[in-house]
Amino acid sequence: MALLKTILTRHFLYTPRIVPTITRFTSTESNVVADEDAPVDMQNPFKKEQRQCILCQLKITPDYKNYRLLSQFQSPYSGRIYGRHITGLCKTKQLQVEAEIRKAQNCAYMPYFYKDKTFLKDPKLFDPENPIRSHRF
Amino acid sequence: MPTYELALMLRTMPKAELKTTLKRVSHHIFSRGGIIRNIENLGFRAMPYKTSAHGVVHREANYFVFKIDTPTRVVADLKEEYGRDVDIIRQRVYKATEETNTNCTLEKELLPPAYRKEVQNMIEEGKTQVNKFTYKFNYNSGLDYYPFQK
Repeated sequence: MALLKTILTRHFLYTPRIVPTITRFTSTESNVVADEDAPVDMQNPFKKEQRQCILCQLKITPDYKNYRLLSQFQSPYSGRIYGRHITGLCKTKQLQVEAEIRKAQNCAYMPYFYKDKTFLKDPKLFDPENPIRSHRF
Repeated sequence: MPTYELALMLRTMPKAELKTTLKRVSHHIFSRGGIIRNIENLGFRAMPYKTSAHGVVHREANYFVFKIDTPTRVVADLKEEYGRDVDIIRQRVYKATEETNTNCTLEKELLPPAYRKEVQNMIEEGKTQVNKFTYKFNYNSGLDYYPFQK
């Protein structure tokens, strides 16, 4: 019986199937409803913002004459330049900072083995105790 | 003519004398066909380290930066000239750098190693080389003795 029923319904459905397809073209209402449920083309709303290093963010190019800024990348204990894993700068900016510090030290703007005591209370741009990667110091 | 930055440290002296020294310094540039774009005075202050020049130890200096355009071959001549000047403690010449806007690559650098382009290239390069740890010497390679220490 069940088999008969299915065959019958199939046969019945087969013929009127064409009719609604024709009517769909005429009715605009059904078209609008289908568009509302359709996926909308949009950008990923969960995409994270691109992180930038502090010098790129503020658009600063390190300069050897600006030794006060450069001294912020220097250890107050040994005068050594902090590495990229501590300063959190991008590769290009870190290289620039290192080169400019060398220049400033050579020009006698900045000391080699200590940090100028007038700059000791300058704001900290990073925390040397919490580097991005662990280090041996 | 490229732009250079001439960083000068002058000895402590009264203002009138400083003026004549600066004039002398700039005349050397002009006489060699150079031009001065800008003179910056960074002030009189204690040097971070003492410097001995021309037989005198200096602990303070007048800091000046000249931005100059000169032919490249003149620079060595200028350096030699200023090296002989008794009023100049120390001098450095650097090429003036232009401001360059590069995109920050920090995000790419903070990716896990497998996703970094640098590491990927390194792995690719490693694949082309013989692995020292897994390499095994073949005895049937024509040598009738073992060439390494056992």
